[in-house]
Amino acid sequence: MPAPRLRSRSLRKVFRKVSGGRVSLHYKKKKPKNAKCGNCGALLKGVPRALPFRMRSMAKTKKRPERPFGGVLCSRCMRQAIIDNIRQ
Amino acid sequence: MIEIGRIVVKTAGRDAGCKAVIIDILDDKYVLVDGETRRRKCNILHIEPLNQIIKIGKNASHEEVAKAFDELGLKARLTKPKPKTARPRTKRKTPEQLRTQKEEKRKLRDIFKPRKKEEKQETKEATLEEKAGLAEGKEESKEVKPIEKKEHKKKETTKIKKS
Repeated sequence: MPAPRLRSRSLRKVFRKVSGGRVSLHYKKKKPKNAKCGNCGALLKGVPRALPFRMRSMAKTKKRPERPFGGVLCSRCMRQAIIDNIRQ
Repeated sequence: MIEIGRIVVKTAGRDAGCKAVIIDILDDKYVLVDGETRRRKCNILHIEPLNQIIKIGKNASHEEVAKAFDELGLKARLTKPKPKTARPRTKRKTPEQLRTQKEEKRKLRDIFKPRKKEEKQETKEATLEEKAGLAEGKEESKEVKPIEKKEHKKKETTKIKKS
């Protein structure tokens, strides 16, 4: 039986092949969900799916696309928002 | 709608939302724009034309565009590259410079080191003398001490006798 703290499903299980040919069970933190567009809900590209501590060590330019609303809206929604703003 | 002098807004890429002027029409697809954006070739589909038109020549330089934008109350993007700074390079010192450097070092040495040397020498000499003196003193003390003791003893004995 695993330790009681590992029996909860808040950790994910990873099977790792260890030296000696043995396969052991490792417990790791779950990854966060993919980033989504705030308007249409489409998956955002160019936004990595990494744990917060890994995101913190990344450069700003590696965390989101470099355009207005980058990392918040998808490119299509961003374009539509700009056009709507102009035509008003 | 697409003509030279037409003010447009970019709707794609990192310059999205920035105003620019069409300077040149390269193709039925592409135009050259400049202004708040970078001076660049641009797809017509990635542009939203406005109602404004300004007077500007074909292939106008960035300075002309900046002037025209100033009149509109907009700020053109500075596309001039930074002036290149010379890379710092270490040069070999000439023999004269090396000589002066050595002299300075010697001066510094004269300020700090010789005192210590003198002190050390003095101490060394002193120690030697002391050693010699001690050696002599020890012999003398050996000779002197018993006499003193004898005197003390004599005194004590005299005191006892008096008491």
